[in-house]
Amino acid sequence: MSNKNKLNITSALAAATCTLLGSGAAEPVQAQEELGWGFNTALLYYGEDDNRVQDLSLSVLGQRTYLDDKFLSLGLTLDTLTGASPNGALPQSVAQTFTQPSGGKTYTTPAGEFPYDDTFRDTRVAISGNWQQPLGRMSLFNVGASASKEYDYLHLGLNAKFSHDFNQRNTTVSAGLAISQDELDPVGGTPTGLTEMISASDDDGEDGEGGRRKGPAESKDIIDVVFGITQVISRNFLVQVNYSYSDSSGYLSDPYKVLTAVDGVTGDVVPVPQLPGIDGPSHLYYYEHRPDSRAKHSIYTQGKYYMDGKVLDLSYRYMTDDWEINSHTIDARLRWPTGDNRYLEPHLRFYSQTAADFYTLSLVDGDALPEYASADYRLGDFDAITAGLKYGWKTGGGNDMSVRLELYRQSGNISSTDLIGNQVGRDNYPDLNAIIFQVGYKFGK
Amino acid sequence: MTSARPERSISVEEGEGCLRGQFQAMASPCEVLCEIDDHSEARRLTSIAAAEAWRIEDKFSRYLPGNIIDRINDAAGKAVAVDPETSQLIDFAESLHNLSEGRFDITSGVLRQVWRFDGSSNIPTAAAVKKVLRRVGWHRVKWNTPQLQMLPGMEIDLGGIGKEYAVDRAATLLRDESVASFLVNFGGDLAVVREPRRRKAWKVGIESANTKSRDAGKLLSLQIGALATSGDARRYLLHEQIRYSHILDPLTGWPVPDAPHSVTVAADTCTQAGMLSTLAMLKGAQAETFLDAQMVRYWCDRG
Repeated sequence: MSNKNKLNITSALAAATCTLLGSGAAEPVQAQEELGWGFNTALLYYGEDDNRVQDLSLSVLGQRTYLDDKFLSLGLTLDTLTGASPNGALPQSVAQTFTQPSGGKTYTTPAGEFPYDDTFRDTRVAISGNWQQPLGRMSLFNVGASASKEYDYLHLGLNAKFSHDFNQRNTTVSAGLAISQDELDPVGGTPTGLTEMISASDDDGEDGEGGRRKGPAESKDIIDVVFGITQVISRNFLVQVNYSYSDSSGYLSDPYKVLTAVDGVTGDVVPVPQLPGIDGPSHLYYYEHRPDSRAKHSIYTQGKYYMDGKVLDLSYRYMTDDWEINSHTIDARLRWPTGDNRYLEPHLRFYSQTAADFYTLSLVDGDALPEYASADYRLGDFDAITAGLKYGWKTGGGNDMSVRLELYRQSGNISSTDLIGNQVGRDNYPDLNAIIFQVGYKFGK
Repeated sequence: MTSARPERSISVEEGEGCLRGQFQAMASPCEVLCEIDDHSEARRLTSIAAAEAWRIEDKFSRYLPGNIIDRINDAAGKAVAVDPETSQLIDFAESLHNLSEGRFDITSGVLRQVWRFDGSSNIPTAAAVKKVLRRVGWHRVKWNTPQLQMLPGMEIDLGGIGKEYAVDRAATLLRDESVASFLVNFGGDLAVVREPRRRKAWKVGIESANTKSRDAGKLLSLQIGALATSGDARRYLLHEQIRYSHILDPLTGWPVPDAPHSVTVAADTCTQAGMLSTLAMLKGAQAETFLDAQMVRYWCDRG
């Protein structure tokens, strides 16, 4: 087709249409993409049983579309955390007294109960920003930054992602990089790994040179790299495969977690003689100590299947790291329309992990201390299941509303060969039950 | 345009700052959004739009025995005299045939005797396509207004124009009947009658079967003018890893390679928008290049 013809098509078509419709020239079209802000808000309650961690979280995500697929999103999340968290020590047949992390005071756990540090209380503010920019017709570039602040924690992160469509947009490949620097300034200072829990009077709650044996703020750096491919298999089947590598280095221990030192025969705690006027731990406990680097590899695969308005979303993740933790996650969701603009979405998730190689229930008093050790239940061998249901609908004003209720159950697997003496028959893993309730509301463009 | 004759009734309900008249025509849900408050007036105006849609459907459906299309397709080589409206539509189709250098062709419908786009892998043989292609081509038709003469076995189908034409016709009737602003929407092909007063613009969503598409779920605002969409992501054939779109090239008898899943175009009238989107689909991989040259706003879904 010649250039002249090409340019004339619009006017020739206008003339032909005019003849067909028998009317005068129509008013010139005025159509725009609706550009503006849309908001995604959610209020989430997460509550663990036994008065453990409770989190109330409010999040707002604002998204602004610009011409030509440019896209800005800004997020704000506020969390209020309260409750108690297992401090890593084992339940005993006697009461146990611990020094509070902030120093100066102690708390006591009755016999037969899991020791919880109930001084745990925090507020977290997190912000994020992302900019998406098309590069030509087939590629997208995305850059973002994030920051969050808690009383004892500061996170700063940067991320970038590039994706490219080809094969008639049936295939998308992507590569992403994220770096973050986190600073940890624990309440009462940073304890030295695998040293004895100090007494309340020794711990003045100041870090650095003011208090004894507790150090100043620490930091860690994390680099994440992800490569992904998304393939449209058929008009109603989509598959995605991602590989990601994550490298953490720096201070990776939890400054609030301890390990129980036990008698090598009885498996019971070792009492510490109490000097008059000294308020300190009743038994021998050590601050945990983790390696200062961790490298994780993950393979994630997801399939989305559309069938008559229903969407089945199945995914599996395998993660392995140099702490010897291997985990499997299977996640399944089914979005089931139940009428005009209404849907139900059942959700099931199974998770299973092996323990870190330095995870141990307790340390034997008198044995040489290992290089690394932690009794944090999150590094143990455990299985978890999440079961939930979400219901969503469109409000009279055309906005999206949803409610979600989920139950989470985590239970540890402890081999009887790891138990010493009286530990047999005791509860050694703090199993966890939690409830998650979320209300979501989406409005704007 | 379909043979199934659904119940022809209209309903009017409360919309957001407007009344929404609804009915079924041309195998599509149709609606007329009226910026008026009087239910009986909205019902009267919707009835006018519906009557026009049903009239055009009945007159030009290629499935209804006895109508003008049936008489033309059943003429077995004899010349048929057509009425003025049919004559104008055929003239229009002939203009498009010339503008598209033969790719827009109202005689291409018989290719569907060998191509069935049902998501299956039933690809016809080259010989079968070649055979049916002998009965395709506007150049084989003798058109001396108002006399139309075709070879036996040839058929015409105005389905590619009908819906957009019906939208513009209904819009014209509503403009003459009322001073209010309307959005006439026949299954996604739509036109605005007068700029709205209660809102800055009518809001229209572009839907896509594929949520991965960049242009899926976009919201457009239309103050005046029209939008039309060509293509259907649900209609295709998959054979030996090649996806065949349902857009057939009447010059080759085969699907246009690399056609977008769908193209939405904004233009002054729905007919213009519809023809530009159809011509763009026929351009296959060059759809966007073609539309860029036409200086129109468009949204191309390559899912």
